Amino acid sequence: MSRRAKLVWLAAALVALLFPLVAARPTWQNTAILMLMTAQMGVAWNILGGYAGQVSLGHAAFFGAGAYVSTLLSIKLGLSPWLGMVAGAGVSAGLSLLVGWPCFRLKGHYFAMATIAVGEIVQAVVNGWEFLGGAVGFYLPLQEKGFWGFVFNRSKLPYYYIALGLLAFSLLVNWAVARSRTGYYLRAIKDEPDAARSLGVSLTRYKQTAMVISSALAAMGGTLYAQKELFIDPGSTLSTSLSIKMALAAIMGGVGTLAGPVVGAVVLTAIEEASRVAFGGTGRGTDLVVYGGLIVVIAVFQPAGILGLFASRRGPARAAPAEAPAKEAA
Amino acid sequence: MNPSRRPTYLAAALVALGLCLPAAAQEEIKIGVIYPLTGAAASTGLELKNAAQLAADLINGTDRSLNLPLAGAGGLPKLKGAKLKLVFADHQGSPQVGATEAERLITQEKVAALSGCYFSSVTTTASQTAERYGVPFLNGESSSPQLTQRGFKWFFRTTPHDELFVQNAFEFLRDLEKKKGLKPRRIAILAENTEFGTGAAKLQEKYAKEGGYEIVEKVLYPPKSTQLTSEVQKLKAARPDIVMQSSYLGDAILSMKTYKELGFVPTALVANNAGFNDSEFLKTMGKDGDFVISREVWALDLAARKPVIAKANELLRARHQVDFNGNSARAFTAIFALAEAINRAGSTKPEDIQKALRETNIPADQLIMPWGGIQFDETGQNRKGAGIIIQVQGGQKVTVWPFDLAGKDVIWPFPSWDKR
Repeated sequence: MSRRAKLVWLAAALVALLFPLVAARPTWQNTAILMLMTAQMGVAWNILGGYAGQVSLGHAAFFGAGAYVSTLLSIKLGLSPWLGMVAGAGVSAGLSLLVGWPCFRLKGHYFAMATIAVGEIVQAVVNGWEFLGGAVGFYLPLQEKGFWGFVFNRSKLPYYYIALGLLAFSLLVNWAVARSRTGYYLRAIKDEPDAARSLGVSLTRYKQTAMVISSALAAMGGTLYAQKELFIDPGSTLSTSLSIKMALAAIMGGVGTLAGPVVGAVVLTAIEEASRVAFGGTGRGTDLVVYGGLIVVIAVFQPAGILGLFASRRGPARAAPAEAPAKEAA
Repeated sequence: MNPSRRPTYLAAALVALGLCLPAAAQEEIKIGVIYPLTGAAASTGLELKNAAQLAADLINGTDRSLNLPLAGAGGLPKLKGAKLKLVFADHQGSPQVGATEAERLITQEKVAALSGCYFSSVTTTASQTAERYGVPFLNGESSSPQLTQRGFKWFFRTTPHDELFVQNAFEFLRDLEKKKGLKPRRIAILAENTEFGTGAAKLQEKYAKEGGYEIVEKVLYPPKSTQLTSEVQKLKAARPDIVMQSSYLGDAILSMKTYKELGFVPTALVANNAGFNDSEFLKTMGKDGDFVISREVWALDLAARKPVIAKANELLRARHQVDFNGNSARAFTAIFALAEAINRAGSTKPEDIQKALRETNIPADQLIMPWGGIQFDETGQNRKGAGIIIQVQGGQKVTVWPFDLAGKDVIWPFPSWDKR
């Protein structure tokens, strides 16, 4: 990381820490929580989709696994959702092994299509499985339970700081992966899979590693969702539109970069919330037209993502992820 | 911070103005109304919105010809004639967006109460937000039984829920026996195998057992089946008096065609709404759709017994060129129930409205619904809600039960296919 980048991260962290104390309005805090949650999902997705270049459009399955495992453990066994979060990450990682084994035989678009199918299958199975709540889903009791119980009624601040903590943790994992040997392998697999293989990099093994990490992080986001909304059903935690949102945050911000999904999520959520508040009540879908239109504009004029705007001064947009190895070598 | 301060000054100025001029103090009472205004259910959401707005306009207007609570009162009399203002929000079918919008309406728009959200899943999360803030939430059209089993203090529901609808079908059978001496005993259940069908089948088994009926066959099938021949053969072999069926549109049509093909004629086909009540069902089936009996929440022919329905429907037609249906009639009713309680409370304090809602007692003749009235039990559920049973006769849906609201007599038994 350059000195400038470090300063920017530090400033962003400071703003994030102080924001809810300054902005006391619940709706602002709520919007900020949505931003953090979307950013965390984007970071999780980015490890597989951005760094390893394996575009998954079925990541809601892993997000949902986290939401369902923690909720089931909490309802049926009375376990703390924090333990549920860890268990959910484990189940999700296991699920990703099952999914990865057949899907990683496919390349490029075919892999993306297969993951859409996986997402849909998981949704269909949960819809029809009574033990998992079927189409109705699960309600979590609305009671203040404090930190260990992970339900907060009186204030939004705990949710905010948990979401922020989870995002920081995900970024840390991402950063560690990116600068590890695995991280270099992933980028090699993304850019030159044949060259990577000829140098003895096992494609399947490293793609799978990325997917395990990515799906475990996505599941942790799912647990947070369940504990914040206190209601999960297949439509809200396993839908393909959720998978697309995860990918969109990362792609809009800057795919394969550490900060990309965070920037993407902030912009995406801001547009989404602002357009809905402004036009949502009309019933004419104006908000979605505005939302969709802005996404198209960004995609057309800034295909490298919003981060590309800043990178372009120092050379091509791709320079950002390549910067780390250069430094290492020096 | 600047933009947020400006409204504060404005509010302060308004309050000051209000202190000087007490008569003008309260001009508007805001109610937040959350519906799916975009997405797959957008057209339904728009119908609901239009019906709710009509209700508010009737209360704010001066046309006293409708016998509905506060209709033509020109606002809420006990709140110095304050007008009702509905603030609509779109939940896009997402529980998370529903909760977000509920919070925005409560904290930014300062609504006195909330209503919505049609989807049971969204009503769940939006009412949680209302519960957290201690703001009354009146739901008019979500039918998942669990909603009123959560022990909430701020949640009220005017519509009957799914369990009651199944119960209605059995009350209908009991009334048939009492009043017409018909004694169907053998019931076969045919249901699609997702949440809707399996849930209904379970309740049907429960009520059949309680009522002393015999379940002679129970067949579950996947809702996207392309053929139902073996399922129908099973039914036919069981020789049931009544087939109780829960199906979506495609499979409702397919099953009827298969009944005809295989010449299967039960004494009656009692359907559980859904596919059988879709207007597409009658369009596709034509004459073959006749004599199907189904449960419904509302029907236009109730107007024959309740003139207020015809008047309200005329007003809706004049504005939007559509008739009321079960959903929009319930949304319309919810706004009246809420406005009536707020007026009786004589205050916009949440505790006062909550107390007034608990004491609500609207008589049957002041509703466009086929209910015994509106009165909430301790869970917030309207204990006087009821459904109706309709039958397709000559391509039209007519109300056949409860008998005192019926437009026509029920045709029983189901005529055989060659005698139509």
